[in-house]
Amino acid sequence: MFKRLIIKTSVVWLGLLAVGPVLAEEYVARSKPWQMWLQEPMSPSAEKINDLNVLLLWIEVGIVVFVLALLAYCIIRFREKRNPTPTKTTHNTALEVAWTAIPVLILVAIAVPSLKVLYYTDQTPNAEMTLKVAGNQWYWTYIYPDHGDLEFDSNPIPDDELKPGQPRLLSVDNPVYLPANTNIRLLLSSNDVIHNWAIPSLAVKLDNTPGRVNETWVRINKPGSYYGMCSELCGVYHSFMPIHIKALSRENFKKWVVKAKLEFAANSRSDETLRVAQVEIR
Amino acid sequence: MASLQTRNRRIAISLVTLVVGMLGLAYASVPLYELFCRVTGYGGTPKIKIAGAPVKKSNGTIEVRFDANTNKALQWHFKPVQVKQTVKLGEPSLAFYRVKNTSANLLTGTAIFNVTPFKAASYFSKIDCFCFVEQTLKPGQEIDMPVEFFVDPEIFSDPKTQEISAITLSYTFYPVERDEDNVDRTLSRKSGSNDEIDS
Amino acid sequence: MANSVEAHHGEHEHHYPGFFTRWFCSTNHKDIGTLYLWVAMIAAIIGGVMSWYIRAELAEPGLQLISNDPEGRQFYNVLVTGHGFIMVFFVVMPAMIGGFGNWFVPLMIGAPDMAFPRMNNISFWLLAAGFILLLIAAFIDGGPGTGWTVYPPLSSADFHPGRAVDFGILSLHVAGASSILGAINFIVTIFNMRAPGMTIHRMPLFVWAMLITAFLLLLALPVLAGGLTMLLTDRNFGTSFFDPGQGGDPVLWQHLFWFFGHPEVYIIILPAFGIISQIVSTFSKKPVFGYLGMAYAMAAIGVVGFVVWAHHMYTVGFDVNTRAYFTAATMVIAVPTGVKIFSWLATMWGGSIRMEVPMMYAVAFIFLFVVGGVTGITLANSSADLVFHDTYYVVAHFHYVMGIAAILGMFAGWYYWIGKMSGRQYPETLSRLQFWLFFIGVNVLFFPQHFSGFAGMPRRIPDYPDAYAPYNYISSIGALITAVGTLLFFVVLWRTYAAGTRVGANPWGEGATTLEWSVDSPAPWHTHEDLPDMAGKAPAE
Repeated sequence: MFKRLIIKTSVVWLGLLAVGPVLAEEYVARSKPWQMWLQEPMSPSAEKINDLNVLLLWIEVGIVVFVLALLAYCIIRFREKRNPTPTKTTHNTALEVAWTAIPVLILVAIAVPSLKVLYYTDQTPNAEMTLKVAGNQWYWTYIYPDHGDLEFDSNPIPDDELKPGQPRLLSVDNPVYLPANTNIRLLLSSNDVIHNWAIPSLAVKLDNTPGRVNETWVRINKPGSYYGMCSELCGVYHSFMPIHIKALSRENFKKWVVKAKLEFAANSRSDETLRVAQVEIR
Repeated sequence: MASLQTRNRRIAISLVTLVVGMLGLAYASVPLYELFCRVTGYGGTPKIKIAGAPVKKSNGTIEVRFDANTNKALQWHFKPVQVKQTVKLGEPSLAFYRVKNTSANLLTGTAIFNVTPFKAASYFSKIDCFCFVEQTLKPGQEIDMPVEFFVDPEIFSDPKTQEISAITLSYTFYPVERDEDNVDRTLSRKSGSNDEIDS
Repeated sequence: MANSVEAHHGEHEHHYPGFFTRWFCSTNHKDIGTLYLWVAMIAAIIGGVMSWYIRAELAEPGLQLISNDPEGRQFYNVLVTGHGFIMVFFVVMPAMIGGFGNWFVPLMIGAPDMAFPRMNNISFWLLAAGFILLLIAAFIDGGPGTGWTVYPPLSSADFHPGRAVDFGILSLHVAGASSILGAINFIVTIFNMRAPGMTIHRMPLFVWAMLITAFLLLLALPVLAGGLTMLLTDRNFGTSFFDPGQGGDPVLWQHLFWFFGHPEVYIIILPAFGIISQIVSTFSKKPVFGYLGMAYAMAAIGVVGFVVWAHHMYTVGFDVNTRAYFTAATMVIAVPTGVKIFSWLATMWGGSIRMEVPMMYAVAFIFLFVVGGVTGITLANSSADLVFHDTYYVVAHFHYVMGIAAILGMFAGWYYWIGKMSGRQYPETLSRLQFWLFFIGVNVLFFPQHFSGFAGMPRRIPDYPDAYAPYNYISSIGALITAVGTLLFFVVLWRTYAAGTRVGANPWGEGATTLEWSVDSPAPWHTHEDLPDMAGKAPAE
């Protein structure tokens, strides 16, 4: 056990020396085979929803078990052979009041925490930066208005071009980089049909509707890779519109911004001159 | 007592009236929905005040952010001149958007808009906006377009909106004529709408 | 009460018109009911084959059956769309309302026929026309790949330029007109044509269910018709109700669609409630517990069903207060549905229960409805919906609570009434086998989808990340079992008509107290010509 730990650690360290800090064993948020619960919650909203779901599920399992037990009891205890003469009871006011009132109480017990979570997820608390997400058939465009209008497209990688370690149908050429432990305002829009930008582990899910901008927020708990998929039927490649967030530490994010500005310079301002040039040539 | 057939018809007729009424309601929902959005700021519809400054002023400030989108069918480049402004509550502020026609055709566009968070919309009023009229741009033409607005100080009195730290004003430009490749028709419509560029 | 009727029908028994007149120009409620049931069965085969194709594609990650090009993927979306449309509009509604409703509402209230027999005929043929239009839609211009929700702009002329969506819209218009005419017919029949003494509060619960369903249809379908007409004119005549660029709003469509769509799920399930109530009472040999509560619980579900529509739209970007309201309103529905569940249990309690096949289906219905119902509580929460919206959790939920539950209700009704409809009883052993195969099949099929949904698998996708493979494989095995169970049903159908034992007026004995059991089996072509007198009788609970 201990030995394995040492080996593992040293492998990681060797890796760090070899390829630099970016490739350190990173946290990966996506579904796993045979998973029986939600993806690990990695944002404050997701944590609260996860807890709410625990509460809901126990109540629901309780209801199902209770009804099933009654059903089974009735079938066995009151079967024709054992109970040849049926009763004539068709009313019992106390019982009827009880099975109306008790569900109401249960629902109130659910509604109170549920609405608390709802209001929590709605308020964008002092966002430090903004990410704009525009949906297209069938890729995402990410814009960082607070970082010099940095803008790039995030296209899915076809199965035959995947590199080892890249999950199928979830990998993109340009992941969207975000700082961890930062309140981020998300503005969602669409350039054609309705899309939905959804990351289960962060409990973000909101429609990208053409002609309007929707706002929500996210705070990613730690650096890592977070995966999601488009969640509103948007045409033939709906299943092939993955979302890949790479969350970096705040320092690394700053470094990435500097690098990305150079890399994607052609995308933002200058691309307008490019297009004009093309038009003139034509 | 009327015959069964008469009574049957009577009920059937009232039920048909019900169906027609519901159909009418479906159509009535279109203007009603629009009105509802305008009055309550639902769906992020800001208020429009054509004339007159706000009544109340206050010392508080709020951040207003600007966002721009262009429909794919319109070959324009459309961006806010400033990403954000810090504005005094209750005081009219001016912001600019820059738009450029990157196509080789004369194009007319119209902008639709909303405000986020939606709950802030009823406290956000526009006094003047380029989105009130259609815009026509010549090939390669670039203009700056103003929007004048103010934020109602009441926004910080309402417990629902107290926590808002920034309001985003967003526009999407759509082409007025939807023929994307029919250049001739677009150009033939040149006269008439041309005057609007400078207004 | 049976004597006068039985004495009378003999004169009419052999006066059937010729084949064409009888089946194409039929104005007889039983014949029209039979026609509806046949159309529903044909549609069920087509809709079922679509779903099995979907499950076969999803059995393993990667694209197995469809080609990896836009055409193939569009075909998958068309399957998803077609499956939804067919199952909702051309299987469950025709079978429940057109089939069992036509057959048994007049019989149960002691009426000789429906109020407007010829309109009844029009309703049926409009439905048949609607079905043909839908099939045409699927086969032209790539088909409608919009999902049954037909959200614009995806369904607009820009993104579905062919004629497919137009045919789909026409199909729904025609089917909707059929349902509206049918609903008017039912309401008038139930209001005006009850036998003397059959007061509203003595009607069997199935008739209550049909009455409430008919009102839901009248209130909900015109809204869909209006929305569809707007979509049609947006696509073809330059209007812009849903086009954001021209001052419209795509979200308005979602409001209109779900204002119809949510009551629609009650239109689907209320008749099943009615059938289950009759069956539980019959085979417990007890009147239904809390008859009035049961009737008014259905009415309450119908009313509340009209003010909860936006819970299908939690993620479109709503004001938080709106979502809070719809969360609260949606959860309210759990109360009347709870009343129904507990009343069924209380009906069984103290009864003398015989587990005949219809009763097995009724118990299975209650089980599935409870499981689907509780997941509905989760989905009612707008906050939880941030994780569950548009995942397989939703798919599992609505198949349990509405899809499969309604199918179980249909099977229950078929086994319960086939003696009355055909004069022959189903083969016992084969039918029990059919029940178990179908029941196990659907649970193996849909239960794992809860876990897929928990893990975040989106709906309406032909291919999925490899991690979702295990549950999808199990799901597809379940689909295979369900397919065998469905096939076996048609064997049962054949054996019943070919070799079923003949039954008398009431094969179920003392528990079956409603009026349809007072007439011969098969029910003669004309029944209740002398209205049975129900005055002074106990409520037909």
